[in-house]
Amino acid sequence: MIDLRRHNTVLVGHERYFLFQTETRWRMVHDRCPHRGGPLSLARRTPDGRRLSCPWHGTKIGVAALCRTALPMVRSGDEATVVLPGTSQDAPVSVIRRRILANLPPDADAETDPTDCNSSTGSAQPH
Amino acid sequence: MSTGEPHILHGANPYRRMLMPDAMSEVDFSASLGATELTSHRSLAAHRVLGTFYEAETILLPEQGLQDLRTDFDLFYGTDLRRLRESSLSDLEDFAFGFLDDEVDVTGAWTVEALDAYFQHAVAEADAGESPALTAITAARRPTVAADTYLVQLALDGLTEASAMSKNLGGAYGPEQSALFKIFIDEFGYGVHDAKHTTIFAKLLRSRSMASHVHAYWNFYLAAPLATNNYYYYVSRDHAKFFRYVGAVTYAERVFAPSFVKMIATYREVFGDDVDLHYADEHAHIDQHHGRITRDEVLLALAKRHGPGVIPELARGIAEARLLGSWFDEDTAAQIGWADTIGYHRELGLKAAAESDEGRRIDLAAGSPFGTRSHDRTTALVVADGELDLVTTATGEPDRMTRGDAVLIPSGRLYGLQAVSPTCTYEVRPIADQ
Ligand code: FES
Repeated sequence: MIDLRRHNTVLVGHERYFLFQTETRWRMVHDRCPHRGGPLSLARRTPDGRRLSCPWHGTKIGVAALCRTALPMVRSGDEATVVLPGTSQDAPVSVIRRRILANLPPDADAETDPTDCNSSTGSAQPH
Repeated sequence: MSTGEPHILHGANPYRRMLMPDAMSEVDFSASLGATELTSHRSLAAHRVLGTFYEAETILLPEQGLQDLRTDFDLFYGTDLRRLRESSLSDLEDFAFGFLDDEVDVTGAWTVEALDAYFQHAVAEADAGESPALTAITAARRPTVAADTYLVQLALDGLTEASAMSKNLGGAYGPEQSALFKIFIDEFGYGVHDAKHTTIFAKLLRSRSMASHVHAYWNFYLAAPLATNNYYYYVSRDHAKFFRYVGAVTYAERVFAPSFVKMIATYREVFGDDVDLHYADEHAHIDQHHGRITRDEVLLALAKRHGPGVIPELARGIAEARLLGSWFDEDTAAQIGWADTIGYHRELGLKAAAESDEGRRIDLAAGSPFGTRSHDRTTALVVADGELDLVTTATGEPDRMTRGDAVLIPSGRLYGLQAVSPTCTYEVRPIADQ
């Protein structure tokens, strides 16, 4: 479970994912710019809202393309359960963790848009 | 349909249900229910009607025969009510279940493996979790009454079991259809009436000296159990929601077996050998198979056959069943807790009444039709004149209240009143929630 009011980023092995909101839907998308891996969780949207501007070198990433990187996720109220990808060839295809810890301060604003907030990195070590 | 009798239990007439016309007329149906309102009075009122509508699409015949009830049969299934049903059912469903669209959201790229991983996670969590309702029974001052309250909630589905499922048996959808049918025919005892699940559920009720005809306990069904029961009709009636239904039924079948194991332990603790738990034993056993069949031969098989386009809906059904199941349990636990602590709530009621303004006055005459209701807000009920019985359980002794007595009724808690003196007057005062 992820408490969406408190956590918005998880680290799976060496890959980071963050919660990204479009319309009313939340998706857990890859926090990696295809150019050189810049943190898209820190990106701002272009004025037309259809792309993100990477904070490192300014590459524009389409929201639709970003959404295609989303992990399977079920949100139920404030809780979200994500099926995380396996981290090695031998590991099961997917694992779901009961709790995923992220390092946001406890009073982090629930309403903050993860696309323009200073999202902290989280850590979730695979079992 | 909305007229009732003075008795707290409904007679053996499946066509009449007490809908509390006065309480119903208070309900604002213009704004849909929110996710936090499932145990509200608005929700109770809507789900009573919705459940009645759904059941009018099934066959209900009284065991004693139709001789005296032919007129009610004709009304219940008649054209007037059918037209009313057909013209309002979809709106009522939007009112009652529309919030699920916001409450549950499935995103990302799903595969069969991801679906199974999510399913396994959800059931592992259910297996490891406590049942608040069973815990409330054990903790109750009157555990037998509390245990009966839980049985009443199960009776809602127990006496018409698998009726919603029957809506998904027609059509042509391959081996998954046959797998679902296997489960259905188990529920129906392979055509042997004595083995039908509803028959053995009735045996369980009779072993507790409880009535076993359909909806004897209509007045005591809580909002969340009604909603849970209605949900399976909701996703079954509209075949566009078939994949949600499959996710939900797979989750339900899988978590039933372990939950009945817990129920057996609790009921043995409360009643010893003095209760017939064949129904619970049957489910603890057969639902292990049903859990496996629904997962392997229905859920995952449909996911494989129909691909990523339907998998999010299958996942959504799992999430919705999980959510409603938890509300069922919490609502039941809350009712058990409230009915078990009326003395304490009477003290709170006196305090609250002293601090609140005058409320609405209602007269009640002895022999008036009996019905139950709840309030959207915490309410103090104060007896202004005469004597009445406060009824909060189907099998426990009611609480006698006389002039000057009061009771605090937390929002969502179900109660009914019966006048003891020829007439009495009581007042309801909404209390600002702390
Ligand atoms: S890493 Fe994103 S633009 Fe270079």
